[in-house]
Amino acid sequence: MNQHSAAARILIIDDEESILDGCRQALEKSGYSVITTSVGQEGIRLARENKPEVAFVDLKMPGCSGMDIIDLLSKDLPDIVLIVITGYASIVSAVEAMKKGAYDYLPKPFTPDQIRAVTKRGLEHRSLKIEADRLRAEKEYMEKNFITFVSHEMRSPLVTIQQYIETLKVIAGDSLGKDVYDIIDRCDKRIQNLQDLVEHWLDLSRIENGTFSETKEPLNMVNILEKSMEEMGPLCQRRKLDLRADLKNDLPRIMGDQESLMRVFSNIIGNATKYTPPGGIISIGTDYDDYYLYVSISDTGSGIPQDKLPFIFEPFYRVKGKEERQRGSGLGLTFSKKIMEAHEGKIEVTSKEGEGTTFILKFPRLYEL
Amino acid sequence: MESKKKILLIDDDKDFLMATKLILEKGGYEVFLAEDGKSGVETAKSVNPNLAIIDMMMETWSEGFNVVSQLRTSETGKQIPLIMLSAVDLQGPYQSFEPPEELPTVDMVLHKPIKADELLKHIGRLLEK
Repeated sequence: MNQHSAAARILIIDDEESILDGCRQALEKSGYSVITTSVGQEGIRLARENKPEVAFVDLKMPGCSGMDIIDLLSKDLPDIVLIVITGYASIVSAVEAMKKGAYDYLPKPFTPDQIRAVTKRGLEHRSLKIEADRLRAEKEYMEKNFITFVSHEMRSPLVTIQQYIETLKVIAGDSLGKDVYDIIDRCDKRIQNLQDLVEHWLDLSRIENGTFSETKEPLNMVNILEKSMEEMGPLCQRRKLDLRADLKNDLPRIMGDQESLMRVFSNIIGNATKYTPPGGIISIGTDYDDYYLYVSISDTGSGIPQDKLPFIFEPFYRVKGKEERQRGSGLGLTFSKKIMEAHEGKIEVTSKEGEGTTFILKFPRLYEL
Repeated sequence: MESKKKILLIDDDKDFLMATKLILEKGGYEVFLAEDGKSGVETAKSVNPNLAIIDMMMETWSEGFNVVSQLRTSETGKQIPLIMLSAVDLQGPYQSFEPPEELPTVDMVLHKPIKADELLKHIGRLLEK
């Protein structure tokens, strides 16, 4: 939109009809659309209705304070440029008006050239201010969403590479030897890991942005755990692990975000599948007391050495075992901890090497009448 | 011999077009490509595809929707199955995006990347109807 368009609307509020006439003639000559009134209240109504770019306000009018009009309009219409018309004697009050949001003042008497110059300057000021506001808002938006933007830019090529790999399997799958096929499969898995990393990174940035807490609602934990088990069941089956649960059916509800809690459980169960040898057991239990609801997830896996336990929630920390290094995004537990904090809860871990690991998640219970 | 069914693929990612084209050709379809919404709509008019696949997020957020609306109001696009592809979730920087009030109807939404067998299975099913 061109702010200098000839049809810029100028409102003039002054009790002297001769001033109104003079201003109208001077400004209409320059192509502005001019609205005038000699009554303060009427001026406020006209300003609200017509949203003029510039308004001239006489400070001294009978029965009405120009200062109040300035005050009101500057709050009401943030983009309006207010200019005070004032006698020489009242420069002090003109300064006062400028403190209240007026942009400039025009001392009486003035020539047509003077009012045109002040109007032009006011319109330029307005354009600059609008542009500056827009840039500031854009900058803030970019800063706030930087990680999100970067992640999306990263996700897009990853998706395309995955699609190419998928295509490669389809068009050349039969003619490839098993070893070549294995290499392609490994590429696919590594890209999937990278994509998980991007997803988790996005998740973390969302928590830090605070967009997360708005989605909380009363939740039934058993439902969520059952859904998580359904989701993770096939993976456990493939790894020959027994995923079992002992869920109390009289659990109090909690306030939470279902989707992110399911991600937390998937993360922890997923970790358990990585570190538990075939034939092992992953068991889920629930409990509650007067203050908290507890969810425990235990495995019969290799366990985590005591001296490593304090670090497992750090980003990109990995416990190196004897077996081939287990790969994940490196952010799964960091994310889980943040999510638990966002639920005013806690995640704790105990482990014994060679016997297994137990994660305990504590949620404040919801008190319902 | 029965002539091959025609599929129109609209996406601004050239690589994604290539990869998906090869899958579709392997599935026995004749494939037409368009890299933006405008040429997609034009191609639809000239080749009369049996099915079209449209990426939701092209140059701008709403371009995919625009293409679907235009296809749905055109003579060729009125009847054919349309599949929309998405790779974004609405939580991200696009959360401020307001989908058009009247969402044009597509027959299916698939999330990228797409498994080859799933894609072919869905297309087969949609074309059978």
